[in-house]
Amino acid sequence: MKKLKRKRKKFSKLDIAVSIIMTFLVVVIIIPFWNAIVISFSTNEAYINNRFSLWPSEFTLGNYVAILSRGKGLLTAYGNTIWVSFIGTLGGMVVMTCAAYGFSRRFPGRRVLFMISIFSMYFGGGVVPTYLNLKNLNLLNTFTGVIMLTLVSVSHIILLMKGFEAVPKELEEAAMIDGANDLDIFRIVMIPLNKPTLATITLFTFVSLWNDWYWPMLTLTDNNKLLLQVYVRNIIKAADSMTTGLAASDSAINMSFSMGIQMATILVVIVPVMCIYPFVQKHFVKGMYVGSVKM
Amino acid sequence: MKKIGKATGKAAEKKQNTLLMEIWKAKYIYLLLIPFVIWLIMFSYVPMAGVVLAFKEFNAIDGMFGSPWVGLKHFERIFSTPAAVKSIITTITLSFQRILFEFPAPIILAIITTEMRGKKIKKVFQTVLTFPHFLSWITVSAILVSIFSEAGALNSVLTALGLDTIPFLSDGPLFKAMLFITHNWKEMGWASIIYMATISTIDPGLYEAAEIDGASRLKQIWHVTIPALLPLISMRLIMKVGGVMNAGFSQIFNMRNAVVADSVQILDAYIYDITFRSIPNYGFSTAVGLFKSIINFMLLMLANQLVGKMTGEKMWSFEKRNKKKGVK
Repeated sequence: MKKLKRKRKKFSKLDIAVSIIMTFLVVVIIIPFWNAIVISFSTNEAYINNRFSLWPSEFTLGNYVAILSRGKGLLTAYGNTIWVSFIGTLGGMVVMTCAAYGFSRRFPGRRVLFMISIFSMYFGGGVVPTYLNLKNLNLLNTFTGVIMLTLVSVSHIILLMKGFEAVPKELEEAAMIDGANDLDIFRIVMIPLNKPTLATITLFTFVSLWNDWYWPMLTLTDNNKLLLQVYVRNIIKAADSMTTGLAASDSAINMSFSMGIQMATILVVIVPVMCIYPFVQKHFVKGMYVGSVKM
Repeated sequence: MKKIGKATGKAAEKKQNTLLMEIWKAKYIYLLLIPFVIWLIMFSYVPMAGVVLAFKEFNAIDGMFGSPWVGLKHFERIFSTPAAVKSIITTITLSFQRILFEFPAPIILAIITTEMRGKKIKKVFQTVLTFPHFLSWITVSAILVSIFSEAGALNSVLTALGLDTIPFLSDGPLFKAMLFITHNWKEMGWASIIYMATISTIDPGLYEAAEIDGASRLKQIWHVTIPALLPLISMRLIMKVGGVMNAGFSQIFNMRNAVVADSVQILDAYIYDITFRSIPNYGFSTAVGLFKSIINFMLLMLANQLVGKMTGEKMWSFEKRNKKKGVK
C-alpha cells in the first residue's frame, strides 16, 4: 500500500483548521477518561464540592483500597473474566483456524457448508431459543455456556480463510511434492505464514470475550461466577437505585457506591485494555484493513 | 439401447468413485472442520430450529420442541399489542436517525485525518480516536453518564459559568441526540479506518494532476477523494439500511434510565423486557424475535442484491467463489 505523499511547504489555513479539529476531537475523547481518573483519586467530599476538576483536589487512594478490600467480589470477577477470556480465546482460535484452513481448500460439500455457515451469520434463533438451548444443554450458570456463545465468529473464519487463500499455491505444491499431507501443510506452511492475521483475530476474540456482558448477565447468576462487565453494571445500577430510591438517606450505604468507587472500579476494568492497546493497535487496524478492502 | 444404458451406468459409477476418492483425499480437511461443524449445529442451528417456538404455546414440561402448536397466534398478537407495534416503529425511526447523524461522521473524520500533517502525531491521535471502540458500552456509558448526568461534570461547569443546567439524559429528544453523540464518540474513530484504507489506495498521480490544474486542497478533496470513496460509501450505506431492525441495543440498554426508556424502546429492548423482566411468554418473545430476524434478513438480501448490481461484486456470493479460486 503506497502512502500518498504531497509535498507542502508551509502551514496553510487548511492545515491549521485540520490541526484544530483533530486536537479538539482528541481532547473530547480524553476528557471523560481523565475526569474518571480524577474522580477515582478524589475523596467523596471533594467530588461533591467540585464535580469537574482537572486534578484531584484532595488526593486519596481510598477508593481503590475500598474496592479491593470490600469482599472478594471484584477480585473474583477479575479472575473469572481472565479465565473465561483465556480459555475462550484459546478454544476459539483452535476451532476457527482449523475451520478457516478447511474452507480455504477444495473438498466436496465445501460450497454447501460455507453457505450454511454464512447463513448463520445473518439469521439467528433469537434470545429465547438461545436461552432455552443453553438450558437444555445444562449450560446455564456455567462459564462453558458463556464461552460457547462468543467462541466462534464466522466473519473471523472468513478473515482467516482469506489469509490462507493468499498464500502462494507454489508453496503448497512444493510441500506436497515433499510428501506433505493437508495437515502438514496447515502446520508447516499456513500457520507460520499467517501469524499476523492470527494475532489480529486472537486479539479481537480476546477483547470480545473481555467485554462480553449480555449472556453473562443473563446466565451467570451465582455471585461467585460474575464477570467483570456484569460486576461493573451491578455496581452502577446499585448506585443509581440508591440515589433515586429510598436508601439515599442512608449515607453509609451511599458512600460505599460513591462516584469515586464507581470510577475506580471502571478504571480497574479498562486499564489493562488501555495499557495494551497502543502496542497492539496496529494489529487491530490491520485486521480491519484485511476485512474491509478485500471484502 | 442396452449399450447406452450400460455406458451411462458406468459413467455414473465412475463419477461416484471419483467423488468418493475426492472425499477420501480431503479426509483431513473434514477432520479439521468437525469441531466447527459441531459448534455450528449445537449453538447456531439448534437455536435456529428453536424458532418453531414462535408457532407454539411453550410449556416447561414439553420443552422447546414438544410444546403444542398454536399457528400464527403470537404473530397476530404482535400487531394487536400497542407496545410491540410502537417498538417496531421506534426501532425503524431510530435506525434512520442513526444513519443520518452517525453514518457521515467517520467519513468526514477519515478525510480530515488524511489531510493532517505530521506522521507521528497522526499515529498518536489515531490511537486515541480508535481506543473507545474496544471498551464495552457498560463502562463507556458509566463514564459518559458521570459527565452528562444532572449532577455531572458538564452541568457543574455550566452552573459555575452561571448558566442553566441541561437535562442531557432525562429529556426524550435530548437523550436521543446524546445517543448519536456518544455513539460517534465511541465508534467514529474505528469506523473511519475503513475509509482511510480506501483513501490510501487512491493514485497520488490524481492529486498531482489536480494540483497542476490549480485545484486547491479543498477542491482536491471534493473532486478526487470523495469520488474515490463513493462506491464504498454507497455500499456501506445500503448495508446499514439492511440492518435497520438493529438500532444499537447495547448502547441503549446501558444508557437508558426510567425517564427516557419509553422513547428509545427498540425491539431488542422490548424483547428483553418481556422475556426477563415480567412473566415470560416464551412463544410470544420468540415470535417478536423471529419477526425481527426475518425482516432483517430480507432487507440484507435486498441490500446485497443492490450492492451486487452497483459494484458488480456482492458482499458475499456463493456461485463465484470456487471459480475465482480456480483461476488463482
